[in-house]
Amino acid sequence: MKLPPFDYEAPRTVSEAVELLAEHQDEASVLAGGQSLIPLLALRLAHPAVLIDINGIEELSGVSAADGWVAIGAMTRAYVAEESETVADALPLLAAALPLIGHEAIRSRGTIGGSLAHADPAAELPAVARALDAEFVVRAQSGERVVPAAEWFEGYLTTSRDPGELLVKVRFPAAGPGTGISFQEVARRHGDFAIVGLAVSLMVSEGSISDARLAFAGMSDVPVRAAVAEDLLVGERPSTELFDEAARRATDSVDPPADLHGSAEYRRKVAAALVRRGLRTAADNAGERQ
Amino acid sequence: MAAIPAERYTGASIKRSEDPRILTGAGRYVDDIKLPGMLHAAFVRSPLAHARVLSVDASAARELPGIVAAFTGTDLEAMTVPGPDALMALLGGAGPTPEFTLLATDKVRFAGDPVAIVIAESRYLAEDGCELVDVEYDQLPPVTNASFALDPSSPPLFANLGDNIARPHSRNEFGDVPATFATADRVFDFRIDVHRHQNMPMEGRGCVASYDGGLGVITVYTATQSVHVSKIAVAMRLGMEQDKVRVLAGDIGGSFGLKIGASREELAVAAAARAVGPPVKWVEDRGENLTTSGQAREESFDVRAAVSNDGDLLGLDVNMVIDTGAYPGMGTMVPGIVEAMLPGPYKLAALGFESTAVTTNKASYVAYRGPWASETFVRERILDLIAKDLGLDPLEIRLRNAAPRTDPPAVMITGRPLAGVTTRESLERIAQLVDFPAFRRRQAEARTQGRYLGIGVATFIEAAPGPRSPEVPSGPMGTEPMRLRLEEDGIVTLFTGQMPHGQSHETTLAQIAADEFGVPFEQVRVVTGDTDVVPFGLTGGSRSATMAGGVALHGARQLKAKVIEVASHLMEASAQDLQITDGQVWVRGDPASAISVGEVARRAATGRFAPGLDANLEVEAAFDGGEGGWSGGSHCAIVEVDVETGIVTVERYVVAEDCGALINPAIVDGQIRGGVAQGIGAVLLERSAYDQDGNCQSATLMDYLVPTACDIPRIEIEHLETVPLDADVNFRGVGEGGMIVAPPTVVNAIEDALAPFGARIYEQHLPPARILELIAAADSGQ
Amino acid sequence: MVEITLRVNGTACTGPAEARKTLADFLRDDLNLTGTHLGCEHGVCGACTVIVDGRAVRSCLMLAVQAAGSEVTTIEGLAPDGGLGVVQQAMWDSHSFQCGFCTPGMVMQAVAFLGDHPDAGEQQIREALSGNICRCTGYQSIIDGVLLAAKRSRGR
Repeated sequence: MKLPPFDYEAPRTVSEAVELLAEHQDEASVLAGGQSLIPLLALRLAHPAVLIDINGIEELSGVSAADGWVAIGAMTRAYVAEESETVADALPLLAAALPLIGHEAIRSRGTIGGSLAHADPAAELPAVARALDAEFVVRAQSGERVVPAAEWFEGYLTTSRDPGELLVKVRFPAAGPGTGISFQEVARRHGDFAIVGLAVSLMVSEGSISDARLAFAGMSDVPVRAAVAEDLLVGERPSTELFDEAARRATDSVDPPADLHGSAEYRRKVAAALVRRGLRTAADNAGERQ
Repeated sequence: MAAIPAERYTGASIKRSEDPRILTGAGRYVDDIKLPGMLHAAFVRSPLAHARVLSVDASAARELPGIVAAFTGTDLEAMTVPGPDALMALLGGAGPTPEFTLLATDKVRFAGDPVAIVIAESRYLAEDGCELVDVEYDQLPPVTNASFALDPSSPPLFANLGDNIARPHSRNEFGDVPATFATADRVFDFRIDVHRHQNMPMEGRGCVASYDGGLGVITVYTATQSVHVSKIAVAMRLGMEQDKVRVLAGDIGGSFGLKIGASREELAVAAAARAVGPPVKWVEDRGENLTTSGQAREESFDVRAAVSNDGDLLGLDVNMVIDTGAYPGMGTMVPGIVEAMLPGPYKLAALGFESTAVTTNKASYVAYRGPWASETFVRERILDLIAKDLGLDPLEIRLRNAAPRTDPPAVMITGRPLAGVTTRESLERIAQLVDFPAFRRRQAEARTQGRYLGIGVATFIEAAPGPRSPEVPSGPMGTEPMRLRLEEDGIVTLFTGQMPHGQSHETTLAQIAADEFGVPFEQVRVVTGDTDVVPFGLTGGSRSATMAGGVALHGARQLKAKVIEVASHLMEASAQDLQITDGQVWVRGDPASAISVGEVARRAATGRFAPGLDANLEVEAAFDGGEGGWSGGSHCAIVEVDVETGIVTVERYVVAEDCGALINPAIVDGQIRGGVAQGIGAVLLERSAYDQDGNCQSATLMDYLVPTACDIPRIEIEHLETVPLDADVNFRGVGEGGMIVAPPTVVNAIEDALAPFGARIYEQHLPPARILELIAAADSGQ
Repeated sequence: MVEITLRVNGTACTGPAEARKTLADFLRDDLNLTGTHLGCEHGVCGACTVIVDGRAVRSCLMLAVQAAGSEVTTIEGLAPDGGLGVVQQAMWDSHSFQCGFCTPGMVMQAVAFLGDHPDAGEQQIREALSGNICRCTGYQSIIDGVLLAAKRSRGR
C-alpha cells in the first residue's frame, strides 16, 4: 500500500502556493496534515501529478480573536486548537467537537483547514462550520474571497474551492451570551468517524430560544442544517415535547445514506435520538454562558 | 557452601523472555529481514469476483525502470509442480480438492485473486509496475452466497467439479434419532447463522525467499505456525527435494490460524525468487490481508431440537452449510469437527448431522481460532431460546443438561469421553462470582428508567488436546517431538517444532524444563523456527500446553537422567544419590560436592570415560499427550444496550475456566482475554462483508472494525481446581476457548437485555443497526 | 529525491528521500530502525506510532520529507544503552504483550500520553490508546502496564 509517484513542491509562502496552484490546477493536491490525503494516496485512490506541501507556510497557522470572530489559520493543527484558550472561551462548540476527531496522533498532524477542505460529510468539523455559519477565506493569484459555509460544501469530498485557490483561514463567530452547545455523535468505536453526528448551538434569552442551529454529520453527502427543526425551535421555551417534535421534523426532512455501518432507516432513528439529546444538553448549558 | 534451593517456576507468572526484544523494537519479523540485493514483489489482483482471464500483458510493466521481472499465472505453472494445497494433503483433507494454480491462469474466482506477480527494486516500484499490467477479463456471474452456490444452475467456479459443491452432502446419525424425536415432549426448529469474519493478525502474511543456485537450496523466511509444514508446501510445489528447502521463522505478529503451510502468494514468491536469482520479499499489506488472505466462520445451521418439558436436551438434528469461498481448503474439514463437538459437555442422547460445503466467489475459508466454534454458538444459543420458551433459568437449564462427572467418564454421543470435564463446577462458580438475583433487581430498576441491561451465560469445552481415546486418530498432530541438549556452558537447549506467535513458548517451555531438569530459568534456551534444526511441530489447536509442555517435562527428565548417569562417573557417586538443583549436580546431603552441569557437559565432551557410557548429553524425546484432557469453562457477560442507537457496551465479563495446571498464570490469562476480545469483536464489530457483485466492502480497517481499548472491559478470570488425569502432565491448552464461547455469551446477554421487546436472536453479528432492527421487528410482532 | 536532515533518537541523519516515501518506510528501510511496524499503512492501527517534535504521530501518515528538521523518537530510542524506560519496564512486569507487533506503537503512544497526563486514570488511558489496535491481549494487560508506569513515575 505504497504511495504512487508525484512531483513534490514545498512552498514557503501563500503566494508561492497559489502560483503553483494556478499552474497545476486540479493536477495538484494540497498536502496539509495528511491524515486524510495520505491514506487516499496509499490506497492509490488518488494519483495527483503534483503534491503541494503547505506545512512550511508559517503564516497559515494561528488562532486569533477580533470583533466577535475567531480566525483560525488553515494549517492550525487540531491539537493546537484543542489546547487553545481562545477556542475554549469563544468557540465552545468547536471545543466540544475537537476531542472526537480520531485519536491524539491524528490530531497531532491533522489541521482545521485540511479537514474542512477535505469535506468528509461524516467528519466533525464540517458540521461545526455549517452550524456556526463559518466563513472560508480562500486566496488565489487574483486575490482573496470569502465563502460562507452554506456555499462551501458542495458534495461528497467536494467544496467550492477553485483548483487555483488555497484555503488560508476559517472564521467562526464567537459564541454570545446565553449560548448553549452540544456536539454528540454515534460512532462504532471511540474515535471513529460518526455514523451520525450532530452539532447544536442554541441561544436562550429570558427562557426562550432566540437562535437555534443544528447541523448533521453523516446524514447526507454534505453537512446539513436541520432548518425545519430550527424554525420550530426559535421563539419557544425548551421542553421535552418541543425537542421530540424537533427530532421528528429534523429527520423527516432528510434522506440519509446507507452503508456498511448503517442503513438509511438506522441513521434516521439515531439522528432523532441525537436531536433530542443534543437539544437537552445545549439547553441545559445555555444558562452558563453570560 | 550454602544450601542450594530448588526453584519452582511452573505455576508462577515468570516475566517473559521474549519481552526485552519486543519492548525495545528488536524483534525480528519477516518485514524486518533485509538480504543483500533483495527485491520486492507485488501482485496484480483481479478487481472482479468471477471472470475468465482472456489475456495478461505485462510488457509495459517490464519496461518500467526498476522492474526486474513480471510473471503471469501461466509462467508460474511452468516453473512449478501442480497439485493441491499441501496442508490439506498432510491432513488427509476431506472432499474434492480442485486443482488450482498459484496465480489465476484461465479464471479468477474472487475479487483479489492474484493474476500476476511483479518483482522490482522496491515495493513502491513493484506497485507502480502492477498498475501497468493490462489484464483483459470476460466477466461471469458471481456466486456470492451459499444458497446460490447450492443451486445447480449457479456457474461452477471449477470446471473439474462441475458444480459449486466443495464437499458433498453427508449425513451421520448417533444414537436413535427418529425415536428421540418421536417421543420428545417438544421439538423446536431454529435457523442459526454465523457471519463471515476473520483473523486479522497485526502482522500479515509474508516471506523472503532466497535461492542459492550453486547449492540448489532455497531458504524461505516466513511467518508461519509450523516451519516444517511450510517447508513441505514449498518443496512439493517447487518440485524440490525436502533437504533442499530450508524454512526459517523469527518473531511472528500473530496468526490465529491464518499462517499455516504456504499460501499461493508465498509459493509464487518462492518460485519467482528461484527464477530471478536475488532474494525476493513479499509482505502483504492490510488491504491484501483483509480481502485475500482468507476469511472464516460463514456457516448456517438448520437445527431441530428434541426437548423434554423439563428442559432436557434429548437430541439434535442439524443441517450445516459452510461457505468455503473460492479455493476450498481446510474449510471442508470443519463440519466433521463441528459434528464431533456438537454434543458438548451435555447428556445429548441422539445427534443427526448433515453438512455441505460450497464454493463461492469470495476469499477462501481459513482456520480461525477455534474453527469449529459454531458448534458452541449453536448449542449455547438454542439452549437460551429453549429456556425462554419453557420458562427456565439459563443457568439451571445448563446445570440440568451437563453430564455428571463419573468414573468411567460419560461419553459424548459422537465418541469422545468427557474425562475430567468440570462444566458443572464452572457454572456453579459463575453463580458465586456473579450475583444473579442482585443483577435481576438492578435490571428491573434500570428498565423503569429506560435503560436495558442484560446478562448472558455460556459454557464450552475444547479438546486441548483432547482426552486419550481409541477414537482419536493419530497423525502428524498426534505426537510431539523435542530435542534437548545440555551445552558446555550449562545451558539446556530445547529444540522444538513449536512456532510461537504470541503464545510465549520461549518462557513457558523454559519454566517447565528448568523445574524438571534443575537449572535456573535463565539457563534454558528454547530454539524454534529453523527446519534444519528443529523437529516437526505445529503450534495450533490449543495443543501446545499439553504436547509441548509434556515433551519438555519428559524430555528434561530423560536428559537429567543422562546427565546424572555421566555425573555419577565423574563424581564417583551412585546415580540415585545425585540431584540437580540450581544448575549444580551434587550428592544429596553434601553441598561441597557440587559441580555445575556445564562442567559435566564439558567433561562429557572430552570423551574420557568408561567404554559403553553414553556421554552424548542430548535426548530426542516424544510425547503422545499422556492422558490428554479437555479445557473448558463458563463465561458470563453483563451488557447494556442503548435502544435508541443500538450501541452495546459490555459492562462486565467473568470467566470461570478449567485449563488444567497453569504453567504461567499471566500468560494463560492473556490468552483467555485475547480470545474473549475477538469473540466480543465478532458480535459487535467484525464482519467480512461482500456486496452482491462479490466486491469486498471491508477492505480497510475503517470498515473491518476490530475492538479497541475502549471496547473490551476488564475480564475477570477464575481458574478452577482441575481434575488431574495424568501423573505428570496436566497442563491443557487455552488458546482458543475465549474465542469459542465469548460470542454466545455476549449474544445471550444482548437477547436478555432486549427481553422487554420480545426479541429472539438467531445470528451472531449484532451491529447497532441490527439491534434496532431486532427491536423494531419484535415491536411490530414479527 | 529530496535531501533531508533530521534527528532520530538523538542522532543527526542526512540522506536522500523520495518525496512519496513515508516516514515509517524511511525509518525502517533507510535508517534500519525496524522497530516501527507497519500494521495498516492507512493510519488506523497505530503500530507505526513514533514521537515527532514531542507529539505522537502515525509515521505512515507523514512523508519522510515532512520530518526534515524535526526530532524523531522511535521505540529504539526510548531507553539509553540497552536498558528499559519506565513504561517498558512496567509493561514487562505486567505481561502487557504477546506477539509484540503492536508493541512499539503502543509503547510510544503510552509514553507520549503519560508525558502530558502523568495522573491519568484507567478510562483516560483507554481512550488515549484506543487508536492503537492489539489483536492478542484484549488490552487489560497493556492498561495495567501503563497504570503501573504512571504510578512508578509519580513515586519518583
